[in-house]
Amino acid sequence: MAFLDNSGDIILDAVLTDTGRMRLAKGDGSFKIAKFALGDDEINYELYDKNHSSGSAYYDIEIVQSPVLEAFTNNTSTLKSKLVTISRTNLLYLPQIVNNATVGLASHPTNNILTVLVDQTTVDDTAISGISSAYINGYRMVDTKSPIVMDQGIKSNAIGDGSSVVLDADLTETQYMIEIDNRFGNIWDGAGSSQTTPSFIDDDNVATYYLSTSTNKTYFGKSGTSMSGEVMQGPRGTRLQFLVGPSVDLNSSTYLFTQLGSTATLGAAVYQIDTTVRITGVTTGYRVDLPIRFVKKQ
Amino acid sequence: MATTFKTLNSANDVASTRTLLHEAIPLTGTIASGTYSDANIKTYSHGMFESVYDYPYLSSSANHIFDITTGYASNSSLSSSASVQNSKKLNIYSQMAQVLVGYDATGSIQSFDRDGDIADGGDKINEAIFVNFSRLLTKDEMKKGSFTMSVLTAGATTAPSTIMTIADHGAADSYKVNSPAGEYGILYTGSSPIVAGTGVGLIYYQAGVAVLTGSVFAASQLGNGALVDTGFSAMATGSNIEMMADSFRNRLQNISFNNTVELNSTVYFCRASHNEFNYSNNPTYLSDSQIRVKNSTTDNPVSYVTTVGLYSSDNELLAVAKLSEPLKKDPSTEVTLRVRLDF
Repeated sequence: MAFLDNSGDIILDAVLTDTGRMRLAKGDGSFKIAKFALGDDEINYELYDKNHSSGSAYYDIEIVQSPVLEAFTNNTSTLKSKLVTISRTNLLYLPQIVNNATVGLASHPTNNILTVLVDQTTVDDTAISGISSAYINGYRMVDTKSPIVMDQGIKSNAIGDGSSVVLDADLTETQYMIEIDNRFGNIWDGAGSSQTTPSFIDDDNVATYYLSTSTNKTYFGKSGTSMSGEVMQGPRGTRLQFLVGPSVDLNSSTYLFTQLGSTATLGAAVYQIDTTVRITGVTTGYRVDLPIRFVKKQ
Repeated sequence: MATTFKTLNSANDVASTRTLLHEAIPLTGTIASGTYSDANIKTYSHGMFESVYDYPYLSSSANHIFDITTGYASNSSLSSSASVQNSKKLNIYSQMAQVLVGYDATGSIQSFDRDGDIADGGDKINEAIFVNFSRLLTKDEMKKGSFTMSVLTAGATTAPSTIMTIADHGAADSYKVNSPAGEYGILYTGSSPIVAGTGVGLIYYQAGVAVLTGSVFAASQLGNGALVDTGFSAMATGSNIEMMADSFRNRLQNISFNNTVELNSTVYFCRASHNEFNYSNNPTYLSDSQIRVKNSTTDNPVSYVTTVGLYSSDNELLAVAKLSEPLKKDPSTEVTLRVRLDF
C-alpha cells in the first residue's frame, strides 16, 4: 500500500523587492505586507490545445511544462499579469482595454507612435509640428487636438452588440492605474487643463496615478452604451481620456535626451526618448503598455 | 466584483517562526601556517595583532577568518617596562578584559577568571592568547559545546609534537552568563571527567573570541622557526605581539566549531479558495476577448500560478516568491501557498 501524498501545502521562499528593501530600511513602518496576488507571467495560454488528439488531460501539457524563471527583485519587472478572482465560472468573454485611435490621439504618421512635442521651440517649428496634428502639445497642453483614449469592453459581439448590451457591473472598470517614468512625463486630464498628482513614486522613478470615475470625472468620457466612436463591438465599460505632458527636465534641458535618448529627423533634427505608459484596470487587472515618444528640437 | 488581490488576515494567515541554523566550520592549521606561504597573513604597522585570511589577502576573494593577539595583565609577573611592547600587551589585555569580563564595583577592569567564578576570586588568566574569530564565520554566535582547538605544545618548532586538544566540554549544558559580552564556556583539555578549576581558557560564544591561557605553552616551546625556541614566558617578555602570534599559529593544528544563525521567518499563508484566482489578465489569456482555455460557458476556467507577490496596502510589491513549475488552478481546486520571508 502506497503512502498518500501529503504535500498539499507548498512552501516557497520569498525575496524582497528593491522597494521592499527600501521600505524596510526606512524603518518607518511602511514595510507591512497586507495582501497577496498570484501571477502567471511565464504562461503562454496560446499553448492550451483544446483539440489535443489525446484528450483533455493533454490540453495543458505544454503549459505545465513551461520553465519558471527565478524571482526578479525589481518590483516593476514581475507580476505583470495576475490571476483574477471572479466568483462566476460561466464567463466565456472578459473585457480588454484598447487604445482608441479613432476618436483619440492617433500615432504620429511619421513616427508611428504616440508623440509628445516637449517645448515651445519644437511646437513652433512648423517643419516639425506641421507634419500632422497627431501630437501632444507639451508647451500648451490645452492646444492638443485630441486626448489619448482607452476604451474598456469586449471586442467580440458574440454576447451582444455594445450599443444595447451593458457590460456586467463586476467587470466594469471604475478605477485605472497609470504608470509612467516620472523623469519624462506626467499625466493631465483629457482637455489638457489640469495636471494630476501621482499617488506615489517608487525607487525606479515610476510614478503611479490612480484615476477613479467618481473623483476624477474629467478623465472619463461617456461609458457603456452611450459610448460613441468605440472600437469594441461587444459590451463596453468605461472610457479613460488623458494626456501625457513632458517633465520640466525634458522641457528645459537636453540632458535626459542625450543620456537616454537618440537623435532623428522629424521635419528637422530632433532629440527623442521612447518610453511606455502603462494603463491598468484596477478591477480586472488588465493592463496595456502604450509606447510613447518625447520629441525635442535640437 | 473582479479582483486581483486578496487581503491577508493577520490572525490566521500570518505566522512568525524562529529557527536556529548551524554550520560546521572546520579550520585546518595549515591555513594559518603555510598553505599560502604567509601571503594570507596580514600584519599591521601598529603591531598589536595579525589577521589570518583563507586566501592571500591581497586577492578580492580572500575572506578574513580570525585575528591573533596576546597580552598580559598589569599584575602579571611578566609585566615589566623591560618587556618588549609591554604597554601594548597591557593594553590588549585590558581592552579584551573590559569588553569580555567587565568591571568590578569600583570600576576597575576585572581579569579573566580560570573557572568563570569571577566573584569568588581564584585563579586568574593573567597571560593570554586571544583568537578573535570573524563574524563571517561565527555568524550570530558559536554553538555551545562545539568548539575544539588542537595545538602542538612540545618539541622544536621544526618538528612540533604532543597534540593538546582543547574543547568546551560540557558547555552545551553548563556555561557562564556573568560576562557583559554574553555567554561563555570554559575550555578544558579533557572531558572525562571534567575537573573543575582545570580550565585552560575561555570561549565567548556571542563575541566569537577564544581566550587561551599562556600557561598552555609554559613548559614547552612556542617559538617558530625564525625564532629561538622558547616557552611562553620568555617570548612574552622578549618578543613582540606579532612574533608571538606567528609562533602560535605555527603550532595550530585544527580549529572547529559550529556557528549559529538565528533565522526569524514570517510565513504568509496565501490561500486560494475554489472560486478565487481562476481567471487571468495575461495578454495571451484572451483572443478577441474570448477566454482561450474555454470552449463554452459551461467549461471551467483554468489558470496557472507561477508567482506569488506580497503587497503593501497601497499595492506596492514588497516581496516575490516563485513556484518551481506552473500550478494549475481551477474551480475544483483549493491551494494554500506558504510563502516564507526570512529576516
